[in-house]
Amino acid sequence: MQRTVFYSLLSLLFLVLDTVLTKFLVIEEILPDIILLWIVYLAIREGQIAATTAGFCLGLVMDLLSGQDGMLGVVALAKTIAGFVAGYFYNENKTQQTLGGYEFLIAVGVASFVHNVIYFLIFLQGTDIGVWGAVFRYGVPTTLYTTALGLIPMFAFARKYSS
Amino acid sequence: MRRLYDRVVHFKEYLLLALFLALCFILLAQKDTSQIRAIRVLTIGSLASMQDALGFIPNIFDLKRENKILREVNLTLADEVSRLREARLENIRLRQLLGLREREQFDYVAARVVGKNMQPLRNTITIDAGENDGLRVNMPIVTDAGLVGKVVATSGAYAVGQLLLNKDFRVSGRVQRGRVDGIVAWQGGDFLILKNVAKTLDIQVGDVVMTSEFSSIFPSGIKIGVVHTTTQARGALFQTVEISPSVDFVRLEEVFVVRYTPDSDRIALEQRIAR
Repeated sequence: MQRTVFYSLLSLLFLVLDTVLTKFLVIEEILPDIILLWIVYLAIREGQIAATTAGFCLGLVMDLLSGQDGMLGVVALAKTIAGFVAGYFYNENKTQQTLGGYEFLIAVGVASFVHNVIYFLIFLQGTDIGVWGAVFRYGVPTTLYTTALGLIPMFAFARKYSS
Repeated sequence: MRRLYDRVVHFKEYLLLALFLALCFILLAQKDTSQIRAIRVLTIGSLASMQDALGFIPNIFDLKRENKILREVNLTLADEVSRLREARLENIRLRQLLGLREREQFDYVAARVVGKNMQPLRNTITIDAGENDGLRVNMPIVTDAGLVGKVVATSGAYAVGQLLLNKDFRVSGRVQRGRVDGIVAWQGGDFLILKNVAKTLDIQVGDVVMTSEFSSIFPSGIKIGVVHTTTQARGALFQTVEISPSVDFVRLEEVFVVRYTPDSDRIALEQRIAR
């Protein structure tokens, strides 16, 4: 119970930081998905259920914050599935190795790509904008940027666990 | 019973995923009901106050650069103001001669951007002014550089603004020099698109695009951007006009909300005719 409260508070902090730090991280309209990094961390640390639940809850809050009619649930859907996919990288006996190794980056990359494809598939329904064009223009760079940003926690964990 | 329980436990991850997916699809199928609006107001209000508390972070780093830009802008504007003063006097005189109605004066509410939600193609900002300051949904958001977007949700002390760089945003635009009208939209990328412009109409690179009188949400005369390119594809009826937005959305920190409510008589008449 205590851990759930702790994770919830951290999730809230990440949500706020995600919106406040935007201007420092943006490169040519592309932003890393800090929330997704957090979800992948939860997936590796706590497993599929925690990551799926976190993905749904955080995605829903992001949907509510965007204040857009008729699209409530699109980020929640994408992040729920991303959390579920990241959960496949969970291994109870190898948590530290996964967080401090390249497997963490693979988990981030896969989850981020799945997230972006689902997001654009639903979000762009009924518009003139091509889904795959948007995936290559925004989805792939966002995935690469998020994965690159994942190097920071990966090295931090590697250092922490090796000492 | 025991077997059923075992099966549920065995497939709990999949069942949870199915439950969440079902909830997402139900939410996607929902319209903006009063209950959803209430939850949205609560979420915006509580998270925006936390964003507000952390708002000092960007300012510390940007202060020096911002000061430099402001000094340069100040110099340019001082020069422009003196020229515009002359033009205004002339304008008043000519309007009196022709008996034209004076343009409306607007009331602005200054607000600080406390959060940015820059999901791809869905860019919004959270500002620290809300219903308590007289803000309502659909009020235009501007800066000194031009049009930023419009208010799409409000709580007591905060509001969410939909940016021009949002796939659902549309505004009636007019090319200032050639008086050519069109619909300004964004389809991703760095530029806006001026839609429905016939190939025969005269538009040149560098032309300024403003909001037009045809909009029922935005007052006319707000700068949207400058024409970046015009392309005339063979066989197409319309030309493709790309507009470079005049507002730097990445560095947006302070905005003004125009307390503008469209003329209800005009809207009622237009709706009556449309029926």
